[in-house]
Amino acid sequence: MAATDNAMQVDEQQIDEGLYSRQLYVLGHEAMKKMAASNVLIVGAKGLGVEIAKNICLAGVKSVNIYDPEPVTRQDLGTQFFLREEDIGKSRAAATVPRLAELNSYVPVRVVEGQPGQPISIDLIKGFQAVVLTNVPWSTQVEINDWTHKNGVYFIAAETRGLFGSVFNDFGPEFTCVDPTGEQALSGMIVSVDEEGLVTCLDETRHGLEDGDFVTFSEVQGMVELNGCKPRKVTVKGPYTFSIGDTSDLSPYKTGGIFQQVKMPKIIQFKSLRESLASPEFFITDFAKFDRPATLHVGFQALSAFQEKNGRLPRPRNPEDASKLVLLASEISSEELSKSVLEELAYQATGDLSPINAVIGGFVAQEALKAVSAKFHPMVQHLYFDSLESLPATTPTEADCAPLNSRYDGQIAVFGKTFHDKIANHRQFLVGSGAIGCEMLKNWSLMGLATGPQGIIQVTDLDTIEKSNLNRQFLFRPKDLGKFKSETAAAAVIDMNPDLKGHIVARQDPVGPETENVYGDEFFASIDGVTNALDNVKARLYMDQRCVFYEKPLLESGTLGTKGNTQVVVPHLTESYASSQDPPEKETPSCTLKNFPNTINHCIEWSRAAFDSLFVKPAESVNSYLSDPNYIESSLKYTGDATVQVQQILSFLVTDKPLTLQDCIVWARHQFEENYNNSIRQLLYSLPKDAVSSTGQPFWSGPKRAPDPLTFDSNNLIHLDYIIAAANLHAFNYGLRGERDPAIFKKIADAVVVPEFVPKSGVKVQINENDAAPESTAAGETSEIIAKLPPPSSLAGYRLTPVDFEKDDDTNFHIDFITAASNLRALNYNIPTADKHTTKQIAGKIIPAIATTTSLVTGLVCLELYKIIDKKSKLEDYNNGFVNLALPFFGFSDPIGAQKQKYGTTEWTLWDRFEFKNDPTLQDIIQWFQKEHKLDIGMVSQGVSMLWSSFIPKKKANERLGMKLSALVENVSKKPIPPHVKHLLLEVMATDEEGEDVEVPFIIVRI
Amino acid sequence: MPPVAVTRRLIREISSLKNQPPEGIRIVTNEEDMLDVVGIIAGPSGTPYEGGYFRVKFQFTDEFPAAPPKCRMMTKIFHPNVSSSGEICVNTLKKDWQSTYGIAHILVTVKCLLIYPNPESALDEEAGRELLEDYESYCSRARLITSVHATPKTPPPEFDVPSVESSEAIVAATSTSAAPPSKSTASSTSSTTSSTTLAPPPASDSTSSENNPSLLSASVKPRSKSTSPAVQPIQTPLQSATNAIVANGPHVVSNVAALKGTSSSTGVNKTEAVVTKTLKRPAAGHGAENRKKALKRL
Repeated sequence: MAATDNAMQVDEQQIDEGLYSRQLYVLGHEAMKKMAASNVLIVGAKGLGVEIAKNICLAGVKSVNIYDPEPVTRQDLGTQFFLREEDIGKSRAAATVPRLAELNSYVPVRVVEGQPGQPISIDLIKGFQAVVLTNVPWSTQVEINDWTHKNGVYFIAAETRGLFGSVFNDFGPEFTCVDPTGEQALSGMIVSVDEEGLVTCLDETRHGLEDGDFVTFSEVQGMVELNGCKPRKVTVKGPYTFSIGDTSDLSPYKTGGIFQQVKMPKIIQFKSLRESLASPEFFITDFAKFDRPATLHVGFQALSAFQEKNGRLPRPRNPEDASKLVLLASEISSEELSKSVLEELAYQATGDLSPINAVIGGFVAQEALKAVSAKFHPMVQHLYFDSLESLPATTPTEADCAPLNSRYDGQIAVFGKTFHDKIANHRQFLVGSGAIGCEMLKNWSLMGLATGPQGIIQVTDLDTIEKSNLNRQFLFRPKDLGKFKSETAAAAVIDMNPDLKGHIVARQDPVGPETENVYGDEFFASIDGVTNALDNVKARLYMDQRCVFYEKPLLESGTLGTKGNTQVVVPHLTESYASSQDPPEKETPSCTLKNFPNTINHCIEWSRAAFDSLFVKPAESVNSYLSDPNYIESSLKYTGDATVQVQQILSFLVTDKPLTLQDCIVWARHQFEENYNNSIRQLLYSLPKDAVSSTGQPFWSGPKRAPDPLTFDSNNLIHLDYIIAAANLHAFNYGLRGERDPAIFKKIADAVVVPEFVPKSGVKVQINENDAAPESTAAGETSEIIAKLPPPSSLAGYRLTPVDFEKDDDTNFHIDFITAASNLRALNYNIPTADKHTTKQIAGKIIPAIATTTSLVTGLVCLELYKIIDKKSKLEDYNNGFVNLALPFFGFSDPIGAQKQKYGTTEWTLWDRFEFKNDPTLQDIIQWFQKEHKLDIGMVSQGVSMLWSSFIPKKKANERLGMKLSALVENVSKKPIPPHVKHLLLEVMATDEEGEDVEVPFIIVRI
Repeated sequence: MPPVAVTRRLIREISSLKNQPPEGIRIVTNEEDMLDVVGIIAGPSGTPYEGGYFRVKFQFTDEFPAAPPKCRMMTKIFHPNVSSSGEICVNTLKKDWQSTYGIAHILVTVKCLLIYPNPESALDEEAGRELLEDYESYCSRARLITSVHATPKTPPPEFDVPSVESSEAIVAATSTSAAPPSKSTASSTSSTTSSTTLAPPPASDSTSSENNPSLLSASVKPRSKSTSPAVQPIQTPLQSATNAIVANGPHVVSNVAALKGTSSSTGVNKTEAVVTKTLKRPAAGHGAENRKKALKRL
């Protein structure tokens, strides 16, 4: 058995960073090593069990073991995505395991043998570090848990019934969690510490600490005892101040210092299930339903009792069975419970829904990973979840919910056949087939979405499958690398549910202004709604705009590590995605990057820019010069430093053009000197270490760290790494063969003689002050250089190869260069360096991702999709969701209503518009506004064209008034309107009779 | 094509700037492409940039106005906060950006930067050093570059349109740092960037960005209605802005309550800036005197 293997071997095993890349940024190496030493048992391989198993397999543990000897039924197919029609009658575990095993070659998946009808027992769970029970009777749960609680085995029990879910955690009487939040440890510069221990941060940054956090310090002058001190507990006093307790026995504080948060382990005491049944601690998932957990806590027990008593679950929508359950509940608890909720639980007991399994399965998988990795705060201790709002407005009848011996029985039991048919005839457009897209398609396929005669799923994604996708985009396998995501995913879900055949169209056209001939009026008329599964704001905003225009509902979601959110946009009801956005991340000021870095992030940002300016831009400029006869002229017009650019072309094309790799190594050595020695010396020449600022303070203080030049040392690995990466990338520009043997680089670099540094002084501005012709001088200097350039015709066909930044290829030197370059700069400024893995995330702007979050978020989206299909019309019918699995945290809110605006007496929202037919003239439109709404139009624009405004010359203005809109647009934009365009969108600025600016809806002009 | 929100906001800003340009500031636009905006700043009198016209090229992203536009000085200038390639280091364009700001705000801020260079956040360290060490030398060099590279024979035609005359007192606040915590002494620190901060225009009382669903925040979104910030044409008379700076003495160390969201404020900003602290500093050489004189001439 796997559990008896020697764990030590696994400990030594290397983590496949290519595969686990995005997840490593969530969990970290340490947690993943612990996971790689843990054997997990999952009991029950129906929809919920397989969802949990899938997520754990993808995440990577030592082994996943499945116990479920029961035969596969047709109903299982409704949620169990790894079972097929031909598996009916086989053992669930045996049928599932081979498909689970395909998910991750590092994770062996095994069947735990048993006979049909044989319940899970203590004998079977011995040897596993974590046990997850799904849909196991509560009496058995208690029995198993009594044993695991005593024997140091992590225990999770989970159950889903229709739109309800339940989870119980017991990680033992004393569980140590090493990182309760998963947030990066905070750090910041300080400017004072007084005797009472009040620490004040540098004024421009908030410390972000919370009461009870711990910190230590470095670089403190004066109160030196704080440097590297044992972690001190923080009491927050304000956004910029916190207290660390009495410091009167320490030396007086002088200046400087950096605080660094220290993550302290947290010990959590879990109760056993037996104990917890009587005095449960609830984890609240929705504060609007705060009284529901108590009802469901009893309800789920009553359901288990019902099943044991009757040998079956309550029948769908059967009032008799429901009242029996209510009675059983009252026997378990004397508390006042919600009868209607208990009845719903009874009605839906045989229900089995893929979205609920996705929510609970994603959550439970993360809890299991928390147990075996000690990373993130576990849920304490009972979770009860429901999405009763997803039920259709018309309650289905008992007859409508009766089983039909179909794969959809689990859904029909909850929603009824009538509503199921609506689901089957729904038409959705899925934008993106990556992580969220794969999960969405899985859920849709299981729900039977679009499997009816009218149903259709349109899915588009321009990407092809890459290795790092395989860690969570679970419809893809190693054999699919390089294939189109949308096609592969579509084929996978047709295999999952053959009813989808002929009802899914896979596309590669990205969405955007360029593809409006594809995704135009006709296309949008053929769909009922849009689901975004995107990874960038730009495309999200674009789809939002299109959905507003075509008045289609939009389901929006996103994840960031363990965090996720969902948003519902409903025409004429909610605001749209664009109405409220996260503020974009603040950028680093350029002088901080150029001269005053104080964190490794500053150095990495700087080196990422250096990468472009060394290996991308010069080669591109050279190529542009060679291919575009007007390049110099046109580029001169738009840059302040034309001379520098032309000089660079000359250098790359003529004066410093390398002929061999050796030349590239010499070049790299000179780059080192220039960037890490000369330019630092130049900076110190201008602003010496003892310089004084205008306030009389030392110039180099506070956030400004005084740099030191580096002296090249080929024995220093960072120095040599820089030379190797830079030389190879330079060689790549010229199509020269690269090299990897460090000895070669060392030898050549050591032989390079670099010129002695001479400070540049600006006094040499040799221009006469009376010189009145400003442009000519610079132009003269530039033209001298241009004259030295070989004419492009003499180099016909010759091109350099600009480097195309690719963060995920470990052999291309890209991240190697950025890591070495930023670390050298960090050495200049005495900033702690960063390893390649960390550098890659920051430089590559990699968004951390893990399958568990995606699974959960996608489940939440599908719970909203039920509501969209039911065409619910009230804000409170819908939920926007916010989750963070690390804390854990669930939050739901009603969507925000579309903001009402007003012109005259007319109220309007973003969903309203004016419409003009038959290509009117501008005059027609302006007059119409005057006549109908007493509004003066001050400016008219279409796209980026300003068609008309009060500040254009009168003659031009009058000419334009008489033009038809289509002609006017072509005239101003100087581009013909493409034939597929049937309407134009106008924006106007309007003022009312009092001369006040008023906001008005946009205008559609049919042409 | 940029999102509608971008163009919707831009046409309002362009229209406002065209019809009522602030003093010494004009824009050049392109009706084919409203994203193609170049600002022109007349070198403020009493500074070595007087007589010059400085062109600032704007580049708007799809996230404007939530994210600041990128700005580049196209006219060669000798200034500590402008690099040789035209980068401008000012907090307004980076970390202090607010979505209520716009083109006019940026141009007024850069104009203030011409009056008030900030050597502490030097991009051109050479200019920074000269400003700190030898004000006269800095001035003569800046004047030279201005006369050679920035002074056309005739002023740009955009300046034929008169500036808006307004006494509306939207006061500029210039400080090296955000309002400090009560205990800290402002003299103990200096920020790495110049933050010539102008008080934002009176915003509508509804700009609660806190209500936005935030992926990063783990708090439950309040179930309240939020309205998007109304677009306000920004008319910040430069004169009052510079007056405010001069009034606080010749150095940028005065901490004026920067009327911006240093706390989770409602986004309502009063139109008057409150001078909380004016720092005395030891005279740092005769350069200061010269600057005082130069600024007095304003």
